[in-house]
Amino acid sequence: MKSIDKKDVIDMLKDWTNEYHVLCPNKKINDDCIFDGFEQDHFTLDYGKLSFCLKSAFFPQSEIIFEVEDNQYHEVISSEKTILFGIRACDMMGILQSSSFMSRDYGDVYYSAKDDATIKVVMACPGPQNETCFCTTTNSGPFAEKGFDLQFFDMGEEFLVEVGSKKGKELISGELFTDIDSGDAKGKIAAFKKKASEAIPKVDEIKSVMEMLKNGVVEDEEWEEFGQKCIACGGCAFVCPTCTCFNVYDLARDGSGMRVRGWDTCLYGGFTREASMHNPRPTQGSRLKRRYEHKLKDYNEQDLQGGLCTCVGCGRCSDVCPVDIGILNLVLAISRDYKSG
Amino acid sequence: MGVNKQLKEENIYKPLPVSIVRNLPQIKDHRLFQLKIENGTTWETFSHQPGQFIEVSIFGKGEAPISISSPPTRLDTLEICVRKVGILTNALFELGKGSTFYIRGPYGRGFPIDILKGHKLLLVAGGLGLAPLRSLLLYALDKRGEFDDIILMYGTNNPDNVLFKYELLSFFDRKDIKYLYSVDKDEEGIWKQYVGVVTGLFDQTELSPDDTYAVMCGPPVMYRFVIQKLLSLGFAKDHIYVSLERMMKCGVGKCGHCAIGDKYCCTDGPVFSYPEIESIKEAI
Ligand SMILES: Cc1cc2nc3c(=O)[nH]c(=O)nc-3n(C[C@H](O)[C@H](O)[C@H](O)COP(=O)(O)OP(=O)(O)OC[C@H]3O[C@@H](n4cnc5c(N)ncnc54)[C@H](O)[C@@H]3O)c2cc1C
Ligand code: SF4
Ligand code: FES
Repeated sequence: MKSIDKKDVIDMLKDWTNEYHVLCPNKKINDDCIFDGFEQDHFTLDYGKLSFCLKSAFFPQSEIIFEVEDNQYHEVISSEKTILFGIRACDMMGILQSSSFMSRDYGDVYYSAKDDATIKVVMACPGPQNETCFCTTTNSGPFAEKGFDLQFFDMGEEFLVEVGSKKGKELISGELFTDIDSGDAKGKIAAFKKKASEAIPKVDEIKSVMEMLKNGVVEDEEWEEFGQKCIACGGCAFVCPTCTCFNVYDLARDGSGMRVRGWDTCLYGGFTREASMHNPRPTQGSRLKRRYEHKLKDYNEQDLQGGLCTCVGCGRCSDVCPVDIGILNLVLAISRDYKSG
Repeated sequence: MGVNKQLKEENIYKPLPVSIVRNLPQIKDHRLFQLKIENGTTWETFSHQPGQFIEVSIFGKGEAPISISSPPTRLDTLEICVRKVGILTNALFELGKGSTFYIRGPYGRGFPIDILKGHKLLLVAGGLGLAPLRSLLLYALDKRGEFDDIILMYGTNNPDNVLFKYELLSFFDRKDIKYLYSVDKDEEGIWKQYVGVVTGLFDQTELSPDDTYAVMCGPPVMYRFVIQKLLSLGFAKDHIYVSLERMMKCGVGKCGHCAIGDKYCCTDGPVFSYPEIESIKEAI
């Protein structure tokens, strides 16, 4: 096992930038933490839960997939050797689940080229990062079980570093890292994990609502009540680590230009509207139902990767929703309304 | 059938050029396009199944899923029957003989030929729903010995909107297919067959539910009524197949647009057995 002094982390990241594009938390305007390219003067370890998950590293908000010239399609597959430093365990689970979805049956070259070129360095959480964290309920945190190349555990003055892959091991072969007694480190990590897990509140309603949805007891009226409030901003989906729906559109002039794909969401009315104007999900309630049932019921088992469902418990939809829907309020309301039944 | 694993390593979004061999007006705003692959290969390598679809791509206008209307038994051209409704389909109608556009596919799970073989087939089509059913119909007619009775029920809204008119008329000369055609309304009184909704055709003939498989495709309102009818006649649920339409973007199970409960219409469908979707409220 290895460790690194906290004060050496900046030098570590600097080293990594020689070979990689390093994405990490930087404190920017208004003291907001933004996950982007390493900047020595802005880098911070005090970042809590970032308001965006890291899916844009693999699945950009918009991305050119073809350049088209005289109606000839030339694929544009962009990827760069990248290190994601400091992602949270819930984000790691989001990446695992999304990667499974994007590669099964048919592979998505745009996603997988970036996924394959990216090293994931998880920062285990010592406890909840804010009041909406519930990763212990969804089996997706506060530390990662798999998928990472490296995982850092905060021991105060230093980080203990768990290796998850060969690539990860190579990254910590430099002299900034100190060899330490493995047995001793394992004990410390186990204690960290135990304390961290206990600090995160369980949301038992997640499981009970999953069961209710499976049994079909939740009526459409319940969803329509939420639908009345929802302003269809799509925020919940765009911050969600496992929402990967997209739209495809052309930017063209005289047969040349580009074919682009960009984030889309089932919360939008046009998402399922057919050319005939028929819409199988005609109300905002039916669209909210879709989004949350996709997380809690209608996922593919194969994509779970050890998680409970395809909600990874990061709580971001609860953080961002301007009208206080979000998964937490939603499951609380449903379980309250259907308690006896 | 199912997902074509061969494509796994390729870029699934890259379309392939085809050209229009013939462009045959059908009824108002509907045309049949006969296509050939531009690079000289044949449709044999494309190896589609009846009921599958392609994504038609016209750069600048986007992509749209369109059913393959011709059967794998007739591979000199690939046929699609298109209704002009919007941006892409309008652009397609601007293209003449010899013009090039792009396609991807074949996609989706078509009709379960292996299950249907050896049985009676009841095809129920409404309007443009005949487009995908036609690939199955012609397949079964080309391999006539492999199927028992073939019954086609086809309904349109009025006598002017009958698709594949000459083909349907040609069945009048055949003894090995039973056809029942209906129109919702016949204001000019020119229709010699049934006037009323397509479910009315069920009262015009005897069916033997035990050894018949029913497959259907049509406008959204049609499914529930036809399924009800079939069930009341004693059809087992797993003898009923539907081909469903959804808004689709990718056609390969990634973009999420076509989801129906835990299924994706583009990869798990568009053909579903009734038991597969029966409990999914938003399905039909
Ligand atoms: C499996 C399957 C098989 C099909 N088979 C056939 C067939 O054989 N023949 C046939 O004619 N049709 C078929 N269809 C229907 C066909 O796909 C549609 O008619 C076609 O997509 C229409 O495309 P368009 O560009 O002409 O229409 P448009 O109405 O222009 O819509 C095309 C796209 O434009 C976008 N759009 C439309 N309105 C808006 C808006 N207000 N804001 C933003 N974006 C918008 C949507 O993304 C939409 O997908 C099939 C559909 C499916 C799912
Ligand atoms: S964030 Fe809230 S208001 Fe916005 S789409 Fe999601 S549920 Fe609706
Ligand atoms: S069309 Fe994209 S998932 Fe089915």
